[in-house]
Amino acid sequence: MTWLTWRQHRAEVYALGLLVAVIGAFLLAVGLQMHSLFPGGAGQCLGADLSETCSTAIRRLNEEHGYASKMLNLFSLVPFLIGAFFGAPLVARELEAGTWQFALTQSVPRMRWLAVKLGALGLATALLTGVFSALITWYRQPIDVLDGRFGADAFDLEGLVPAGHGLFAFAAATAAGAVLRRSLPALAVALGAFLAVRVFVMGWLRPNYQEPHRLVELVAADDPADPGNPRMSTGSHLDWTISTGYVDSSGRPLSLYDSVMMYSAAEKQGVKFSAYLHERGVQQWIEYQPAERFWTFQLVETAIFTGLAAALLALVVWRFKRRVF
Amino acid sequence: MTATEYALRTDGLGKRYRKVWALRDCSLAVPAGRVTALVGPNGAGKSTFLRLVVGLLAPTTGSVEVLGQSPATNTPQVLSRIGFLAQDHPLYKHFTVAELLRLGCSCNLRFDQGLAERRLARLEIPLDRKAGALSGGQQAQVALALALAKRPDLLVLDEPMASLDPVARLEFLQALMGAVAADGMTVLFSSHVVPELERVCDHLIVLNHSRVTLAGDIDTLVGEHRLLVGPRTTTDVDKAGTVVEATHSERHTTLLVRDGGLPAAPGWQASPVGLEDLVLAYLRWPARQDVEPTTMAEVPA
Repeated sequence: MTWLTWRQHRAEVYALGLLVAVIGAFLLAVGLQMHSLFPGGAGQCLGADLSETCSTAIRRLNEEHGYASKMLNLFSLVPFLIGAFFGAPLVARELEAGTWQFALTQSVPRMRWLAVKLGALGLATALLTGVFSALITWYRQPIDVLDGRFGADAFDLEGLVPAGHGLFAFAAATAAGAVLRRSLPALAVALGAFLAVRVFVMGWLRPNYQEPHRLVELVAADDPADPGNPRMSTGSHLDWTISTGYVDSSGRPLSLYDSVMMYSAAEKQGVKFSAYLHERGVQQWIEYQPAERFWTFQLVETAIFTGLAAALLALVVWRFKRRVF
Repeated sequence: MTATEYALRTDGLGKRYRKVWALRDCSLAVPAGRVTALVGPNGAGKSTFLRLVVGLLAPTTGSVEVLGQSPATNTPQVLSRIGFLAQDHPLYKHFTVAELLRLGCSCNLRFDQGLAERRLARLEIPLDRKAGALSGGQQAQVALALALAKRPDLLVLDEPMASLDPVARLEFLQALMGAVAADGMTVLFSSHVVPELERVCDHLIVLNHSRVTLAGDIDTLVGEHRLLVGPRTTTDVDKAGTVVEATHSERHTTLLVRDGGLPAAPGWQASPVGLEDLVLAYLRWPARQDVEPTTMAEVPA
């Protein structure tokens, strides 16, 4: 059974392994160059007063490696590719070719057949996405130090989350294949589900895995405020800002309209916007997730995606148990 | 006979796909050692019946017992006693024949690789060729070799010869019958081609419109039925309920009856019926009865 699983799916292992290897080789090439900008580590280039070398390095980082963020956002589909290409054919290809009748009438009980396949290919998904995540984590190290790890181009690609995403894609593609009985439609449905769940989790759930911290203070006369955004600092540039805003002296939140009206009033009077707010006792607030919550958030998000994966695989197991095919 | 002397027993077996019944109310028993043909038109429920027998499908109603055990137990022991060759003999097309044999070895309890290799060598099928590159007849032979190498007590074949040309059909049938003669296993295969049955089968199941319309040993069935030819009759008094089929020409009426050979009424001549005519009559039977029940003639016997 182990040999059969390997023989049947080695083409996927080779192809996806090659994909990760190519990505790794590319990241190594551009990453070594990027890392060499900061010979003493990017940690020396934090804070307000930057040395000459540091500001040169950061300028070159932005100029020469500015594509990194866009590229990494694209790479967030790699865990999907890994999981879905293992999952989609797992059941569907057997149903398409009729070979399920051959496979399930050998002397291997059908539940054992399924357990070995799900186990082996799920493990392969976790391993490959793990390698992928390690490559990205190494590559992004200077950027992580400078910008933090909560951005979509970091959080989705580092640590445990890629493995969670990969397992979810694997389970979604397997389940879609078991229901639709066709590999290609299963792949398409899995992609739709993957994107929908990712957007939902990223936009609605992730900011609330833990109650955000909230800072409120009176606007100082020389703060760099603008009408849309208080530009308030949390004390660490690595924190993840969730939202910001103003409240007036009575504690009533100011809408964007209110603050724009105040801004034009300040301009008419010829005073600085922040000074105008300060005079009227307007407070600014910020809600954020501290940088040290990175691993807690990683664990929560990985748990969500592996939980969804487990539920989808339970559906596959249930269909097998019922012997609907 | 005790339960284990039956290779196959079903009781009230039925399978429904959503709202459509593919098989209903099927109760029959096939003694061990028989070569059984399952005959029916396309869509009669043959594949469903066979998949229920080998445990690929779960029944909606009733039960199946194969070699004294329910195929639903799905243990290696039960699985190893049943060989199955599905319709169109599906194989992993990108596996070489040798790899398919290795698969058989690693996924079975008592796989006889030597037997399969000898069989394939005799047929001059190269082991290093991919299954997808073989001809249809060769693929069927490889699938048969794999099923036989399991050394099953019951071999189930779904339309094994449907996609083969006449030469390949003959070779396949010879291979199958040779193996049956050597091993004495029970064979159950489906077919919609009637003429080739007589030479190879001793038991028959006719399936039509999702129901079993005839089942039993062929000799017994042929003995119980006969043809009666007499003057044309149009009255309908099938009092004894023994008429299977009535056909009318201008002057004569021909009746196929199942009456166990009672003396014929005056003016009627009895003659034995061939297996092919018998099967064809049962394949037509329920539909004809549903559509025009008034044409049934009086039983003159």
